[in-house]
Amino acid sequence: MKYRRFSLILLSSLFITLGLATACFAMPQPTDRFYINDAANILSEETENYIFENSQKLDQATKAQIVVVTVPNLEGKDLESYATELFRTYGIGDKEKNNGLLLLLALEERKFRVEVGYGLEGALPDGKTGRMQDQYMIPLLKENKWDEGIMNGYKAFFAEVAKETGYDSDMSPEDVAGEEELSDSIAAILVVVFYVIMFIIASKKGKGGIIPGGHLYGSSRSSSGGHSSGGFSGGGGSSGGGGSSRGF
Amino acid sequence: MKKKSTIFIIIGAVILLLAGFLISRYNGMVTLGEKVDAKFSDIDTQLQRRTDLIPNLVNSVKGYMSHEQDAIEKVTSARTQLMNASSVAEKGEADSALTGALNNLLAIAENYPDLKANENFTTLMDELAGTENRIATARKDYNDVVKEFNTSIKQFPNSIFAGMFGFGEKEYFRAQEGANEVPTVQFNTTE
Repeated sequence: MKYRRFSLILLSSLFITLGLATACFAMPQPTDRFYINDAANILSEETENYIFENSQKLDQATKAQIVVVTVPNLEGKDLESYATELFRTYGIGDKEKNNGLLLLLALEERKFRVEVGYGLEGALPDGKTGRMQDQYMIPLLKENKWDEGIMNGYKAFFAEVAKETGYDSDMSPEDVAGEEELSDSIAAILVVVFYVIMFIIASKKGKGGIIPGGHLYGSSRSSSGGHSSGGFSGGGGSSGGGGSSRGF
Repeated sequence: MKKKSTIFIIIGAVILLLAGFLISRYNGMVTLGEKVDAKFSDIDTQLQRRTDLIPNLVNSVKGYMSHEQDAIEKVTSARTQLMNASSVAEKGEADSALTGALNNLLAIAENYPDLKANENFTTLMDELAGTENRIATARKDYNDVVKEFNTSIKQFPNSIFAGMFGFGEKEYFRAQEGANEVPTVQFNTTE
């Protein structure tokens, strides 16, 4: 009885600490719709759906990820480090290609930032992202036209990323991703076949113990590169702080 | 006889274990040290990019701000200082000085609407701001690895043989306090 109460206290204190730890810096965590997180609650359902669907298709075809996040405020941080941290926490873009793009709006501060992953810096140098913001977004955001501003900008940046990655909206995901996925699955099959053969040989010799447990699972899993097929999550991409910021 | 060989085997095994332990520790430190160097070269790349951008900026600004020779001069000399810096500390200091000089110049540029409307200038400003931000990010990444490295060589048991292997503490890349603050503008055209 005493023991139970003790463990109860221990558990609850653990939860309280956890709660405190997460409350300290409440950066909006990725939702199950990863590509769009309207934490400031300023976008319409249609805009959100449009962004979600298009980013999802782009991701499935090219592994490039475009994420739109709106936050009520930056919690005292500066826009640039907030954006870089969010970018890295989300892991936007593919881990190897780093082809992620983040569009971040801070409502209270009235600031907008485009943060570009390493892999897209060639297609979207800082100066260009600034010009694109000036051209497509800032005039609209100045008039609090959130939906139009974000939508306009999203489309413009989407077009640039699509051009860079060779994505065509008519394309089905298999057209672009086919080759890589195929080689991945062939590799996985080869690994399985190898282990089966090894297993057969080993058991024929009368000793079944040469295969370490769990190894098979580990190796077939690693070939998928952490990019889950159900996939609304970051690919582990990073950014070095490239992009541009604007006030509106 | 048999007992003797058992002892030898045990001693041999202990030596092998110890050697393996030392090797893995050594390799761990080498790997971390390499990571520190790699992160520093990231900073260096961005510092280089920054020094490359300055002449363009000065050229585009000159025509508009002919009265602000002083501010422009400060930027150019800070750039030279950065180019001549070699150690981590020197580079950190020079970079801070350049940031200060640039911020000063840009604050003055606020008073030249023609310049601000110039698309070339805007693009340059974005590139510069982006580079500055990349330097800040690279600096943070670098300092994180340096901290990891310094902690690892100071911790037991690495602390015993870190010196023996020739591993010393790595230097942090420090930004001068207040270098990122926008200075108050002394706007005088007579000088």
